[in-house]
Amino acid sequence: MTFHLVVDRPVARSLPSRHRFALSRLAAFVRLGRRSQPQEAAEHLILAIDRDQTGAEMNCVALWVLATAASYFAVALPFPWPLSILAGVALAILAIHIPIVGGGFLLRLLIGDGDHASLVSAATMTLLFIASGYFAMTSSWVRFVGWLFIGMLVINGIAALFLWLLRDKVRSAEERCVR
Amino acid sequence: MTRSAWWRRFLVRGVVWRQLLRFGVLNTPSWTEPTVIAFWSLFFLLWGPGRRGVMRNLAVIKPRSNALGNFVRCYRVFWNYAWTIADNVRFKELRTIPDWEFSGWDHFQQLQAGDGAILLTAHMGSYDLGAQLFSETSTRRIVMVRAPEADPETRQFEEHHGTGGVHVEFNTRPAELAFDLLDNVRSGDIVAIQGDRVSGPISVLPAMMFGRATSVPAGPFALAMAARVPIYPVFVVRLGRRRYRLMTSRPIEITRTADREADFARAVAQWMAELERVVADCWFQWFTFEPYWPEKAA
Repeated sequence: MTFHLVVDRPVARSLPSRHRFALSRLAAFVRLGRRSQPQEAAEHLILAIDRDQTGAEMNCVALWVLATAASYFAVALPFPWPLSILAGVALAILAIHIPIVGGGFLLRLLIGDGDHASLVSAATMTLLFIASGYFAMTSSWVRFVGWLFIGMLVINGIAALFLWLLRDKVRSAEERCVR
Repeated sequence: MTRSAWWRRFLVRGVVWRQLLRFGVLNTPSWTEPTVIAFWSLFFLLWGPGRRGVMRNLAVIKPRSNALGNFVRCYRVFWNYAWTIADNVRFKELRTIPDWEFSGWDHFQQLQAGDGAILLTAHMGSYDLGAQLFSETSTRRIVMVRAPEADPETRQFEEHHGTGGVHVEFNTRPAELAFDLLDNVRSGDIVAIQGDRVSGPISVLPAMMFGRATSVPAGPFALAMAARVPIYPVFVVRLGRRRYRLMTSRPIEITRTADREADFARAVAQWMAELERVVADCWFQWFTFEPYWPEKAA
């Protein structure tokens, strides 16, 4: 995309370029073909074309990652179930901070001050993938959580492949929407 | 560095929290951001004076509320505050622009087209982000008046990490500042002032909000009268993830008569009506962490 801001085009809210994950971008592309220009309550609208702009996508992924990490902790704790779940959620929240703090400081030392969110993102996803691989091999119920995580990564990879094949169509559909 | 100076960095207005926020913005993946912000909003609840201030204000805004309900509402205020300050730092550091919706677009255009104006706003949403939006979309210079950071290190940090698009004047020397601002308005600049709460030894005007007596800074009203320019109430409200609404209301015209007090009282009443309407609708974004009404503070 060559544009970063779209003015007074409400349909641009659901552009694939405003989504981060391939699966979500592909779904946005499918929806884009079916949508007409929606009614807009705002008198004037400026929309930023930014991959992290869609709240529903980000909140869903954040909740899913939290639930996944909390399940891994809960199953590893020796407490009764309700306590394990509570402690699992608390530990998961703290664990999510580890790559941010650890990775952030390390990257700052290695490559200097700046925006390291993409590298921390890749590191966090890798850690979750490794943890999911480990728990998927266990015999407890948490293996389903692990397989779900791995499965979603595979589906997202396939969606990325589709998006790459459809890249010209996606670009022209987006341009039609905003011009 | 002395022991006391070292500790000061960790106080509520200390520099450590600003550094931590910047670090978080630069290193947090967007898809873990909601979890991280939810956690840190909980952490804010440990700030006793701020929590109590918000809860006392909520008790006035929502008279039928109870303490437990207001505690939960207080979390919502902190949650919105955390997102707002994060969006503000993200804009400063990475130039990430949120979505903007405008209401009162005619008034906004009128504000941009006029010969100097005063933009009166409140501690709501991201007023810093709103001022930046103005500075980037307008041909007019924006002069923002604000209280300086109490902590010298925090002040230095903010100066170093500012965007530079907005000219900031600090209200430390009221007499000289008044003349400077008058010059600014007369030369066509837009002077942005927060008109909801009084901080520091500045002159005030009596006001009523939610049926209770309070006071507002007299400066914007005196400046509007002296420069003969309108006051535009402008509010920036957060609607969701990286999504804001800029609301511009009907301008307040201060007509000069023989009775100055009555002129001011009319203008203040119009401003308070706007402020009350917006705060009633968007109480979860009114970032006033001290008790707003003197009787409640007592």
